[in-house]
Amino acid sequence: MSQLALQHYLAVGAILFSIGLIGFMTRRNLIILFLCTELMFQGVAINLISFAHFHGNLAGQAFVIFVLVIAAAEASLALGLVVLLFRQRGTLNADAWRELKG
Amino acid sequence: MQVIEYSYLIPLLPLLGAVLAGFFGKTVLKGNSHWPIWIGVAGAAVLSFLILFGMVGEVGRAGEAFKPISKTFYTWIESGNFKINAGFFFDPLTAVMLCVVTGIGFLITVFAAGYMKGEEGYYRFFAYLGLFIFMMTILVMGDNLIMLYLGWEGVGLCSYLLVGYNYDKPAAREAAKKAFLVNRVGDLGFALGIMTVFTAFGTVSYFGTDAAPGFLQIIANGGLTSFQQNCLDWIPFLLMLGAFGKSAQFPLYVWLPDAMEGPTPVSALIHAATMVTAGIYMIARCSTVFVGNDAALLTIAVVGAFTAIFAASIALRQNDLKKVFAYSTVSQLGFMFVGVAVLAPVAAVFHLVTHAFFKALLFLGSGVVMHAMAGELDLRKMSGLKAVLPKTRILMLIGCAALAGFPLLSGFWSKDEIIAAAGHQSLILNIVLLTTAFGTAYYTFRLYFRVFEGPLVLPAGVHHDAHHAHDAHHRTHDAHHKADSSGGGHASDHKAHAPHNHEPAIMILPLIVLALGAVVIGYINFPKPLLGEFLGHSPSFSLGFKVASASHTGEHAVSAEAFGQREAGAETQGHAVVLAVSSAVAILGIALAYLLHLKDRAAADKLAAGLGPVVRVLDAKYWVDGIYQSAVVEPLRALGRAFSRIDNWVVDGLIVVLTGIPKMSGVVLKITTQRGYLQGYATAMLFGIVIILVLIFR
Repeated sequence: MSQLALQHYLAVGAILFSIGLIGFMTRRNLIILFLCTELMFQGVAINLISFAHFHGNLAGQAFVIFVLVIAAAEASLALGLVVLLFRQRGTLNADAWRELKG
Repeated sequence: MQVIEYSYLIPLLPLLGAVLAGFFGKTVLKGNSHWPIWIGVAGAAVLSFLILFGMVGEVGRAGEAFKPISKTFYTWIESGNFKINAGFFFDPLTAVMLCVVTGIGFLITVFAAGYMKGEEGYYRFFAYLGLFIFMMTILVMGDNLIMLYLGWEGVGLCSYLLVGYNYDKPAAREAAKKAFLVNRVGDLGFALGIMTVFTAFGTVSYFGTDAAPGFLQIIANGGLTSFQQNCLDWIPFLLMLGAFGKSAQFPLYVWLPDAMEGPTPVSALIHAATMVTAGIYMIARCSTVFVGNDAALLTIAVVGAFTAIFAASIALRQNDLKKVFAYSTVSQLGFMFVGVAVLAPVAAVFHLVTHAFFKALLFLGSGVVMHAMAGELDLRKMSGLKAVLPKTRILMLIGCAALAGFPLLSGFWSKDEIIAAAGHQSLILNIVLLTTAFGTAYYTFRLYFRVFEGPLVLPAGVHHDAHHAHDAHHRTHDAHHKADSSGGGHASDHKAHAPHNHEPAIMILPLIVLALGAVVIGYINFPKPLLGEFLGHSPSFSLGFKVASASHTGEHAVSAEAFGQREAGAETQGHAVVLAVSSAVAILGIALAYLLHLKDRAAADKLAAGLGPVVRVLDAKYWVDGIYQSAVVEPLRALGRAFSRIDNWVVDGLIVVLTGIPKMSGVVLKITTQRGYLQGYATAMLFGIVIILVLIFR
């Protein structure tokens, strides 16, 4: 086993981000969509941490803590919204909300 | 003269009155709306007369050394070398005009309080009257052409508002619009004239200091450049156009007869005594510009004389009292224009003053008749009114005699001066004016004999009190009395039961003052030319004389007296022959009217039938309105329709095409990308980011 290099970490981040992106583009369930955005978040966070670690710079790590806090706050808000949307239409399908189309 | 210090109050007091009446008349003052105007105009009149008397004293003391007073309040407009002061200029001409405007204005506001009593727009009427006096005093006091123009347009606006006072009547609305639009034609010329004056002379002040002379002084001093000389050839014609519009001369006279739709006090004040004389005032004020230009003088003389005889001939066959006097006003204004054109501006101003008195008297007298006759003004439907309106009859007789030029009354002296001055210049003018004077005497007394003499005939629906004293109506009189007073002169059913007193004191007193004026005012310039000598101290007249005598020598030498100037050794010229001839003409005209309209009215109808074609032409008023309709109004209307079509099809079409582009692209976007699927937007965003990244890191 060779030693873990920067590119391994970056690959994990990129894979996480891609899974999130593809999930977001293909699924219709609002909660799944939300989870996919969280996945993309984590991909970016891993990117930041690995760069910070390999550059010996703490700024990236501090940044990630901020991202996590914001994500937590956003998660509570977003899930609340999803509950409200579900009460309105009785479905979690994102296509039920098309009124704002062009 | 201390009083000049307070001269700013002359326009200000009527304006304040107008503001009070206008803003508080409807809610607070109501039937007392005339008070602010009475007080304001009376204050202005007192100040005007103080200025006049002060100036007469000053002229008497100082003689040739008299200096007119100018008073500048502040700089109104300043832009480059274009500088206009808000300033007044006081010379004898201003003083005389001010007294005519405010004095007669005051009498008419007093009359109007009685005449308009109970009208719905009472406060509105008085607010407009105050505004009118404000504008008119600005017009005569301003010391430059822009101030004159301000007042000029202001009185035009007030005329529009007052002619259209009964705006629920279509005829009144049309007449108001007509007056405004026809005046625009003249005002265009006037505005161009002012611009030309500024371009040529660099100033629009009449008079200035030695260092900065006004344009009249520059012209009188001579030594003009060829450019200035060229402009000077055109300026009189442009200014003249404005004067013809405002003072209702052919071919722009058409608005004045229609303007009689306004309430009668308005006809008396604006359309007879003051506003319509603004054109004469302007030409007299700027006579320096006119007198050196023979073509301009000839034009004014021809237009004035033609208008005089043309309008008088139309008046011969008019059956509406006010219309007769309206055409008569047009005709008399023609006389005044002839006066300035034959280099006798003093005579023109003299006639302006006397005319203001007797024409205001005649209009107000017609107002009394209209008030008593349920708004009826057709002289075929009434006769012998001396039984109903004894006081009015005497006052109207005085007014008619003064207008007809009956010997020794005011109209006689002033008309004569113009005829005599015209005689010096041209025999044809003389004959035209004498013929007009004959016609004037005839149509004036035709009206008088028809309306006031002969057997009593009242228009249908009007009862003389004596006739139905025991009538059932009588018991309802008191109940109707309140409603009666709201009639205000225009035909309305309840007016049929006219009030007991057809001649209330508030309406008769101003008429008595005017009648006294109509009798005696002629003596201010006869036998000694007092008015002339006084006016001669105005620089407008002395400079005008200087220019006129320089360009007219020999056979057509200018009479110094006609400009109010003294000529060394010259005796006052008598014109006894003219006096005799015009007395004869006036008396003949009256006699003819007596024969045809009192002694044997059937003969008049037979004569009219015998003169079929002539009568038809006169009744149609020479088809001038029809000619305007087909030569001006219809082509303009067709042009308007054409423009409307261009707007509808070309401009609007272009707009449809232009707005179609974003509309179509919107539709395309709606069915392609903007479908409302969340994933669609996310994909678009992704591709957008990819493209941007590629562009950055390429």
